[in-house]
Order: sequence, then structure tokens, then C-alpha cells
Amino acid sequence: MYKKTRARYFFLMPGIIWILAFTIFPLIYSLYLSFTNANMRNFNRGWDVIGLENYASIPSDLRVGETVVTSVYLTLGSTAVTLVLGTFVAWLFNHNLPGLRIFRGILTMPLFAAPIALGFMGLILFNETSGSINSFIRGLGGQGVRWMTDSWSARTAVLLLDAWQWTPFVFIIVLAAMQSIPDELYEAARLDTASGWPIFRHITFPLIAPALGTVALLRLVETFKILDIPLSMLGGGPGSATQTYSYYVYITGLRSFNMGYASSLAYILVIIAIIISSIYFWRIRARFE
Amino acid sequence: MTTLPKSLPLETPRLAPIRRSPLPRILLWLAVMVVTLWVLYPFAWAVITSFKTQRQALEPTFVPFLQFQPSLENWGAELGLGGRETAFALGNSIMISVGATLLATLLGTLTGYALARFRYGIGNRNIVSWVMSQRFLPPVATLIPFFLFMQRLKLIDTVPGMILVNTTFTLPFAILIMRDFFADFPEEIEEAALVDGASPLQIFLRVALPLATPALTAAAIICFAFAWNEYLFASVMAPKDAKPYTFLVASTSTVRGVHFGYLATRMLIAITLPVVLSLFVQRYIVRGLTLGAVKG
Repeated sequence: MYKKTRARYFFLMPGIIWILAFTIFPLIYSLYLSFTNANMRNFNRGWDVIGLENYASIPSDLRVGETVVTSVYLTLGSTAVTLVLGTFVAWLFNHNLPGLRIFRGILTMPLFAAPIALGFMGLILFNETSGSINSFIRGLGGQGVRWMTDSWSARTAVLLLDAWQWTPFVFIIVLAAMQSIPDELYEAARLDTASGWPIFRHITFPLIAPALGTVALLRLVETFKILDIPLSMLGGGPGSATQTYSYYVYITGLRSFNMGYASSLAYILVIIAIIISSIYFWRIRARFE
Repeated sequence: MTTLPKSLPLETPRLAPIRRSPLPRILLWLAVMVVTLWVLYPFAWAVITSFKTQRQALEPTFVPFLQFQPSLENWGAELGLGGRETAFALGNSIMISVGATLLATLLGTLTGYALARFRYGIGNRNIVSWVMSQRFLPPVATLIPFFLFMQRLKLIDTVPGMILVNTTFTLPFAILIMRDFFADFPEEIEEAALVDGASPLQIFLRVALPLATPALTAAAIICFAFAWNEYLFASVMAPKDAKPYTFLVASTSTVRGVHFGYLATRMLIAITLPVVLSLFVQRYIVRGLTLGAVKG
């Protein structure tokens, strides 16, 4: 259209300036802070630039290793669970059953629930004595799981809750991908085989694979940031078993006010985010010209 | 670089293609029911628990009246006697979310329209990617500088400060939802207005904007939900005077110990509004949440 009018800057700039001012500027400032010893004590009278000292002390910080293990377990676990379950549910909903649309709406409800509140829901559901999950396990003849007191069980409880919230996300994206597969492909395949699995394996799956890749990347990035659910569900406990890396950055910077060090920890996260988002954009770039 | 056809369907026209199911329908419905139950069960359990007293909440009973005598104790405590703090926090949440939604939708519509209709020297694709990359940014990385800036600007613990924070996080969503809408929308109508001598601003306001109402609603609801659910920045920047409801919810256990029924009540109040609103934006959820990366 009128591609060269000057008015185009009037439309573009307000939003762009806003993002620049409120995200890029803080990021630069954060990078600066990561080279300083800013903390509670020198907060008002000024801090010193100490170079790479913060970064140098990260490898010897034992808490970092522990929180990274938790974060990686949650991220890989939750991504895997949501991908498998989400794809299965999408496959179910890709059948021609009347009335499915209503159920689709119900299924996306968890996505919009505040994670901080869901943590409390986890607290109620996973409670070891009165929680319904343990009641269910006992009903089946098993023994109650120590969701609140055993480190790995607690991590798994957080993982399951996060997966419960985000499976619908995978579901709706994969469903959209499945619905864009032309019917003719299925009809041709049906002439050769009657069973569902080979069709899924050789037709559906290859065609939804790109969408699965996109969604996996999004889920990996999102889950690595997880903080709200472990915070409200178990306060990072038992001990510090469910403290994620983000959680550790948060308490280091804003509970112990060790801002310089926390900024260096956060910057590691920024670098990882930049790497993953580069892969992501490389995958989807073509769509945005 | 391959370019996808510009006119991908705006929405999938049919729910599911007509094809014979490989499984008997009964089995499929059964599976759908199990999945629905699995999604609804935690909500249902929270509703049941919210009508239990503390002692009842420790027993795994399900059916009110038959298995336990339901009590309004928790709802009364949250909305009745202790209601002032609740009303205050809910009021803050509404002011913050509505303020951020209005700002983000306004800015997002302008920028989204710009990215769909005009060409920029730096490359529209690059601008879009950059806007998207905001989503990948870990919030904890900007938390500390934000805190320091807000302190300098004397915006700590104020509603305007929280509006500013939430606008920043929701703006990329608004921009990309609106860009996607306008990009799919035929330019011919606007070109006709251009021929008639209308200015770009007139065309935007009189032609494009009225047609964008559905996308605008979707963008607004998604922004609202994100702002409403935000906890991390609120916990640092709005602990008292601008305290939103998420912060109040998070402080529950420390105030009263683990009181399940009460916790369930607060949890339900916190999640109801965005969850209900989400039912109105089904068409846009896929694109909204993937920032337009996947067409839904």
C-alpha cells in the first residue's frame, strides 16, 4: 500500500520505543550490575565495579548446581509429558465427533489460571495424608507417595502440576497442525491399511513434526523460567529441593539483596534464552515477511 | 528464503475433517471424557474443598451433604469479615490489569498495524522477531534493574508503576496478535479509501480499526489474563499499597498456616476471571500464546 508515507513512523514508534525503554535498557543495566558488587550494604552509598568476579564465583556455588538439576529435571520432564499427552489429546480431538468444540474450550482452561494460585492447588491435591492423589493411589492398593517431604517426589509433583497446566497448550497447537493436513492423504493411506497406528506414524506424525518442534522449543524456554508454582506450592522445599534456577536468582537478588551476583546468574539465563530464541527464529522466520 | 502463501486461512473452517474413525466412537468418547475429567478434577476438588472446614478438609470426602456438611466459613472469611483486604487487592488487580490492557492494546494495535501495512528499512521481519524475542526473556533478568528504576522514579508500590510493568510484558502479545490480524486482512478496502483521498490516520481509525474489533477483543483478553496472573514483579514492587490479588494469595499460607479450605477459596477467586474470559477467545488462543508462530 502507501509504503513510503511518513505516517508509518507514527504508527510504529510508540510500541517500539516502549519496549526499548522498558526491556532493553533494564537488560543493559542488568549487564552492568553483573560486573559490580551491588548488595544490601552498599546499596545507598554506591557499589564498585569488580569485573568478572561474580561470574568467576558461579562454578563454585554449590546451590547453582542443585538448582540447575531441579530446573533441568522440571524442564525436560514437563516438556516431554506435555508433548506426549498433548499430541494424544489432539489426536483424539482430530476425530469427527459432534460436540467436541465445547470440550476444546474446557480443555484450555488451565492455561489461563494464575500459576501462583495453581501452586496452592498442588498443595491441596498432593497433600500426603488428605490429598486426593494419595487417596487415589491408596485406593488402587498402592502406598502414598511422600510428595511434600521427599526431594524427588516433590520435584515430580511440581512437574506434574506444570504439565497439567501446559498440556492444553501443546494440544491446541498440535490440533491446529493436524487439521491442516489434507484429507486426501488419509484417504489414500486408508486404501493400504486399516489400522490407525501406521497412519499416525507415517502420515500424521511427519506432518505435525515441525509444529511439535516449535512447541517443544517454546515449552523448554517457558519451563526453564518456572518459579511461581514451586514458590507457592512448597516454598522451594522440602529443604531447597524445588528451588529452580530462576527461583535462586530471585531470592539471591531480592531476598538477600545480593544484586550484583544475582545479575550475573540472571545473565547466564539471558544468554541461554538468546541461543534458544535464535534457533526458534531460524525455524519460523519465513512466516514474517 | 521460502515464503509461505500470504493468505493462509484465518481460521480453520471446520472442526475436524470428515473421516472414518479407526476406533469405535464409544472408545473415543470415553477417552475424551477421561481427558476432560483429568482437566476438571483439580478445579472441582478445589470447589469442594472451599466448602469444607479445616477438619473436614483433612478427610478425602467428595459429596457435600452426604459425606460432609458444607460450610460457608471460608467464603465468608474471604468475602465477608475479612473482605476489606480482599476487596482492596482485587481492586488493585482490576486497576492494574485494566490499565495495562488498555495501554498495551492501544500501543500494540498501532505497532501491529504498522508492521502489517508499511515497510521499514530495517526489515519488518527483523522487527517482528525482535518483538517476539521479548517472550523468551527470563523475567528474573529484568527484575532487579526494574526494581531499582522504579525506586528512582518513586513508582514502587503504586498502581501506575504496576501498570507500567505489566504493559511492558503484555505489549509483545498485543503487537503480534494485531499484526497477524492486519496481515491476513485484505488491503483492498483501505486502498479504496486511499484513492478517495483519506489520510493514513483516517484510514486506520475509520476503516481498519472498526473491522479489527474481534482481534482487538482477543488481544485485550489475553493481555488482561497475563497482567492479572502476574506475581513475580508484584511480589517485589507492590507488597503493600498496590498489592494485587495474586500477591495476597501468595501470602496466605504464612498468615494462617496451611488452611486448605481457605486456600482453595482464594485460589478459586484468583483464577476465575481469566479462565472464564479465556472461553471467549478460543479462536485466537493458538496464535496469541505462540505469538503468531502457529496459525490456529
